[in-house]
Amino acid sequence: MTEILTIAEAGRRIAARELSPVELATSHLERIRRIDPALNAFLLVTEDRALADARAAEARQMAGTLRGPLDGIPIAHKDIYNTAGIRTTAHSRLLEHNVPDRDAHTVKKWAGAGTVMLGKLATHEFAFGGPSFDVPWPPARNPWNREHFTAGSSSGTGAAVAAGLILGGTGSDTGGSIRGPAALCGIAGIKPTYGLSSRVGILPLAFSLDHAGPMAWTAEDCGLLLQGMAGHDPEDPASIDRPLPDFTAELGRGVKGLRIGVIRHFFETDHRASDATRAGIETALDFFRKEGAEVRDIALSPAADYHAVGYLLMISEAFTLHAPWLRERFADYGELFRDRVCLAATVSGPDILQATRRRRVLCREMAEAMADLDIVVSASQPGEAPRVDSVPKWANMEKPSFTMPFNVTGFPAISVCTGFGTGGLPVAMQLAGKPFTEPTLLRAAHAYETAMPWRGKRPALVG
Amino acid sequence: MSPPIDESELDAMLRRAGLALTPDQVREILPGAAIVQGMIARVNAPLPREAEPALTFDVEQGGNRG
Repeated sequence: MTEILTIAEAGRRIAARELSPVELATSHLERIRRIDPALNAFLLVTEDRALADARAAEARQMAGTLRGPLDGIPIAHKDIYNTAGIRTTAHSRLLEHNVPDRDAHTVKKWAGAGTVMLGKLATHEFAFGGPSFDVPWPPARNPWNREHFTAGSSSGTGAAVAAGLILGGTGSDTGGSIRGPAALCGIAGIKPTYGLSSRVGILPLAFSLDHAGPMAWTAEDCGLLLQGMAGHDPEDPASIDRPLPDFTAELGRGVKGLRIGVIRHFFETDHRASDATRAGIETALDFFRKEGAEVRDIALSPAADYHAVGYLLMISEAFTLHAPWLRERFADYGELFRDRVCLAATVSGPDILQATRRRRVLCREMAEAMADLDIVVSASQPGEAPRVDSVPKWANMEKPSFTMPFNVTGFPAISVCTGFGTGGLPVAMQLAGKPFTEPTLLRAAHAYETAMPWRGKRPALVG
Repeated sequence: MSPPIDESELDAMLRRAGLALTPDQVREILPGAAIVQGMIARVNAPLPREAEPALTFDVEQGGNRG
């Protein structure tokens, strides 16, 4: 088969016995063989495992015992997710031969839902360091133009989903590592509420900012994948024990009656986004208004305040994890990771405490600003993807990130493609909500996606 | 505002953290250290005395508990 399906559609066809999970997996493996040498999205293709998973799914299909909408769906995992018996490297020389003996909690959950695992995906080194050319594997390339950056750190997942190599995959997000690649690769990616999905078995970058979440072609698919990933894990001290909603239950209800705030100063003055990015957001806001949502601007502290808190905590938490190796094996890290993380040596204890005090102030500020809102809108990235070979070492520090505010607060946020810029590469917006309002975020994202033509266009190299 | 950091000060901070970098490596990260100093100044802007730290982050309790 040459058609690239969404997870929702593939699930429907598998349930109706119109699509064979083995044929689906085989077609994706063939596409990986054909396209991935140009993209470097995969660090490891687990063909035998994929075919075994697919055969098991097909047996359930024939027996009428399918486990749900993810049964038989081809996926892959960012290579910081531990996979039992399968190499998990963090895209780093330091873990080049690391083979975990246990699946990450979320990997286990997706396997239990019947997904078909195709392999392990490129990341920035330890989810922070890229794009690096001095680590054992090359960086993933953007399928819309392979000379360009994917963003990171869930770079392989972004590239693989956009190119149709997989229907969905895992990402992790400490300062924007799901939403950034989703934006630059033209797909959807949701960072759930902090604590909604378990971090156990995912190599940490910064404990208080790390989130696990899914990436897929559509918001609807993200909802289906999140359903299979979220849930309480007593092994994760941040995990929240509360009943899970049906993440796709609100899809199809449109945006009528939703109250939407626009954090305009983030993308107009704090860090001015490209014309195409701003135009995409304005078009989306017009759509929301026309469909019956109430839209108004809101003001928060400068994006740089959120960015400073998040960045200092991120490098400091990362340093505590990596200090022993940085001291003993400095040269084994890629230059970008080690140079960024060792800057934590310049941050004092009182600075960190001040950052945590300010974090609390910012969390309250955002909660108060959103008290009578359902969603806030901002940019995901400042514009189209730059060339992969010209990303400055300090690019993620010099200007404030649009995504970090929602890592600092832990509020859920999704990146949605809003079209293409002058270079032909995708641009995006970010929708964020109050804690545990993922169904509403997905509802608004789905309403927008289904009304716009962008989900009908794939990168030319897909063929 | 924190004073700008120079190479020798940065080298001393790195050594105190157990990192022995070459002079070239220290020079290479100096621009990043300057950006971090700006962030440090930003988080150290005055806060209300009652502003408590988010020692253990918990989104269910307004972003923190502790």
